[in-house]
Amino acid sequence: MPKTITEQNLRLLIDSLIKEGTRVIGPRRTGTITLYEPLARGEELDLNELPRRSAKEVFFPVCENILSFQRGEEGVKVTDIDPCAFPETVLIGARPCDAAAAPVLDSVFSWDYKDEFFLQRRRKTTVIGLACTTADDACFCSAVGLSPADSKGADLFLTPVREGGYLCEALTDKGKTLITSHARLFAETSAAAPLSLNEPAGVKLDLHKIKGWLDENFESPIWKEIADRCAGCGSCAFLCPACHCFDIVDEGTEAEGHRRKFWDACGFGKFTDHASGHNPRDAQPKRYRNRIMHKFKYYDDKFGQTLCTGCGRCIRWCPVGIDIKAVLEEIQKG
Amino acid sequence: MKHDFEPKIVAFVCTWCTYAGADLAGTSRMQYPANVRVLKFPCTGRIDPVFILKAFQKGADGVLVSGCHPGDCHYMAGNFHARRRFAAFRKLLEFVGVDLARLEFSWVSAAEGGKWVEVVTDLTERIRTMGPLAEFKELETEEHWSGRLETAELKEAYNNI
Amino acid sequence: MNNTAQKHDATPLVAESYYAAVTDALRTEAARLLSEGVVTAVIGYKEGRRHGTAGPAIVVDPARANELIFSAACVNNLALYLTKAKKGVAGTGKIAIVAKGCDLRALAGLMAESQIRREDLHIIGVACAGVFGSGADRREPLSAGNLAGKCRECSVGAPEGADIVIGTLPPLPELSPVEAEELARLEAMTPAERWAFWKENFARCIRCFACRQVCPFCYCEQCLCDRNRPQAVETTPRPAGNMAWHIVRAMHLAGRCAGCAECERACPMDIPLNLLNRKMARELKELYGHEAGLTPVEKGPLVIYREDDDQSFIK
Repeated sequence: MPKTITEQNLRLLIDSLIKEGTRVIGPRRTGTITLYEPLARGEELDLNELPRRSAKEVFFPVCENILSFQRGEEGVKVTDIDPCAFPETVLIGARPCDAAAAPVLDSVFSWDYKDEFFLQRRRKTTVIGLACTTADDACFCSAVGLSPADSKGADLFLTPVREGGYLCEALTDKGKTLITSHARLFAETSAAAPLSLNEPAGVKLDLHKIKGWLDENFESPIWKEIADRCAGCGSCAFLCPACHCFDIVDEGTEAEGHRRKFWDACGFGKFTDHASGHNPRDAQPKRYRNRIMHKFKYYDDKFGQTLCTGCGRCIRWCPVGIDIKAVLEEIQKG
Repeated sequence: MKHDFEPKIVAFVCTWCTYAGADLAGTSRMQYPANVRVLKFPCTGRIDPVFILKAFQKGADGVLVSGCHPGDCHYMAGNFHARRRFAAFRKLLEFVGVDLARLEFSWVSAAEGGKWVEVVTDLTERIRTMGPLAEFKELETEEHWSGRLETAELKEAYNNI
Repeated sequence: MNNTAQKHDATPLVAESYYAAVTDALRTEAARLLSEGVVTAVIGYKEGRRHGTAGPAIVVDPARANELIFSAACVNNLALYLTKAKKGVAGTGKIAIVAKGCDLRALAGLMAESQIRREDLHIIGVACAGVFGSGADRREPLSAGNLAGKCRECSVGAPEGADIVIGTLPPLPELSPVEAEELARLEAMTPAERWAFWKENFARCIRCFACRQVCPFCYCEQCLCDRNRPQAVETTPRPAGNMAWHIVRAMHLAGRCAGCAECERACPMDIPLNLLNRKMARELKELYGHEAGLTPVEKGPLVIYREDDDQSFIK
């Protein structure tokens, strides 16, 4: 029998998880902006709009310490961060475009080097996905092979139903455990009518065809045409659920400090700047080309996946109105 | 005399006037609080506001900027330019919520060993009564939630439910 | 960007036909300039795929002049594309640029800083009733409800000093100055409250540098904040480094900022950055009588000095 949970019980679920010592991350509204943030209580959950930043920071923090160092009489003492100390976490209310990005990122973070910072957080996190009812004209999940009802990446998937509350589908052991350990908050139902989901409008993308074009067109006048106006900021990459570039710096003094890992973006002019002064991506179109190539060609070549879930954040917040969907449609035309 | 709190004062001074003034105070055997850490610059015109900011960030409880009196600049106009820049920077710091009582500017010439002692003593005593500058120090230790390891607020949330 | 508070007034500020007429005149002028060889490129706006959006466009072919538009969605300050930071984008030779009044102030500032020369430019001024606010509802025509905060206090709707001005505005209503009110609200706070306000806002910063990248005055080839030896400002997006970055940014723009508020518009984290710029502009006006205007002033207030400048804050 399918399970359901009421709106109120969903909030109680958050409260009891917090009480058990679990960190609960979910959409929370502050002022004009909704962000995935740690919730202090169930009431704070706000599922009205797609959070401004993606949920990737649950696994891939904006900035994290990876070690600290102190210079003492016996030389430099290095203290590693223990990834086992990461908190048990439940991510609640992740839309399909956010939840689906996590398994895509698993490929790169467990490839030639196993990034325990990412992987431990993945292991320690249970993802409660949410079917999406709020598509706008920047959304294009269904154009890249997902849909507002796609449960990829979720351990437990919520679908809003007409009567209020949500249909709950446990997809993994983590999801099942979450239900069984809080069984009193869930009900069984035979008839629940899911709310109609809002399928993003617009052209479906033929990712295979697009990749075929990209294979052949590293050099093309289109890059200059599209990206001359790119301002070279990192807002597309930083809001993106799938962009995962990072930089590592040592900060502190000569006596003590931290090594920190933090988000980086291929749109930055300094991203490929060599110490010699040479910069292989010396103009903005080359940097934008890398963004498209990485998402729709290189990642596919390497892992057979596309590094885009169609959330539309980069379209909504590009300061100079660069529209990745329009770019891909253009490429698809050949 | 023993105090409970010894403030850290960072003084950015120009080499021609204030540094020489401080030196005069020393050679004249005048006493002034050892709380002050003097950093010597060629001119107040070289003292970038970011240095002041950095001093606060890295633990200064008070900052002093001092150089030649107007008209005495070794480079003719360095202190005139600095004066405008600091006037603007003060307003900015005030607007983000920094208490301007922690930031002092002065003109101390090479002959004014006594004035140096007075400026440093006054600032030190004022900061001593104000206590440590907590804001920047707290900020320095804060992490974005995604990179935070301790779960203090989780415990707080738990207690609130 | 407190759009929620202003949603009530949806009376259109100008008729849709106004934009159509300006767009037509703009296209004709651009086509003429390009085909007669007066300019090698026109920097203007073209429509975006989504309703109510537009973005920068660089047109070099007179046949494509009909891609240009002007509407309330033309938010960008195109002066950006004339700076050193975007060198090579518009090519060489004389360039035409579409400029609203607020953009003209940036052009004047860049001329004053010897970044561009008036004789290399053909300025197509557009009379502008204002642009959409960031995150505002763009399904409706431009009204007090979805107008950008900066436009509510605009004094340069009809630009001066351009080579041609397109459009004549109808009388526009006087609107409450929300940005000035917000500035006053902050100034009335205690330092501790202001610190808390900025701390909360800057904590959201992810250091995407959209504020820097869209700013016509952030054209340094080497930004202080990208340097790591010595590291003046922490590069990591932690609260400490974010605070330092925004203070440094505001300081470096003091006396230079033209008030286009592009930094605030571009910020994906809704940080009210223009408040800092406005505050500094106000202080520099009070201290040294400087105000960003439409005519280039040879030297900004922090580049010059007077022997009798105020020094009441110096012991």
